[in-house]
Amino acid sequence: MKKIPVKDLDYVELYAENLREDSSLFEQQGELVDSQIESSVSIFKEKFKEDFKKAAREYLKSVGLI
Amino acid sequence: MENKKGYYIDGDAIIINRKLNSLDNFLRDFLEILKKHSDYLVVSGYVSISSGRTRGTEDIDVLVPVMDKEKFRVLFEDLTKSEFWCYQGDTYENIYDYIEHKDSIRFAREKQMFPNIEFIPIDETRKAKFFEFSHPQKIKIDNFEFKIPPIEFEILYKEIVLGSEKDIADARHLRTFFRDNLKEEKFKEFESVIKEEAK
Repeated sequence: MKKIPVKDLDYVELYAENLREDSSLFEQQGELVDSQIESSVSIFKEKFKEDFKKAAREYLKSVGLI
Repeated sequence: MENKKGYYIDGDAIIINRKLNSLDNFLRDFLEILKKHSDYLVVSGYVSISSGRTRGTEDIDVLVPVMDKEKFRVLFEDLTKSEFWCYQGDTYENIYDYIEHKDSIRFAREKQMFPNIEFIPIDETRKAKFFEFSHPQKIKIDNFEFKIPPIEFEILYKEIVLGSEKDIADARHLRTFFRDNLKEEKFKEFESVIKEEAK
């Protein structure tokens, strides 16, 4: 009998199990990764229009990343 | 790609059965430059994501042995010439302090914030990191080959040292996805090294 996912980790396991047998599922993951990066690039290009590095570093300092 | 499985083994390399995405391309472009100047190891979240774990990430962790100032200058200038920028500064003289003190620095593509490479300087004093660095595993996605830790090491490090919800899920993904290829003796060998780090 197939295990029914209950917790988050069950879903992680089920997805990995299916992915192991069927590489076509990688396509969805690729789309997710590509869209995440595309959105991030577009947001920060818009946010730091003029002097990108200067504005980016000010932002990074303000959030404690540098 | 005739093989329908998510991955297979070819000689000493793990072959992930998928096409490259933009995160892979970002890492490939960075490693093409880094490899001209230094050895490296790609670790942590990207290892899980590259094998299909579906979650977002902002950075890719890369271990790099501490290098001298001149070697770092040449690398830094090559990276900036190739349109990568460093969060911490624009001149190698200032950034080298981080390397010397084994503090991480970050690189992204020009006019981008994310994704970024967390460039983690290591030497023998960082025992677990140096151990995984010294035991690389080849992995290949399409025509992009790079080095990661042994999967068993990555799983234990996430479970024992890191231990956040995200890391436990990454470890579960790796345990399931690579189930047929994991070796119990490797878990035993790596556990003592990792437990030492966790103390």
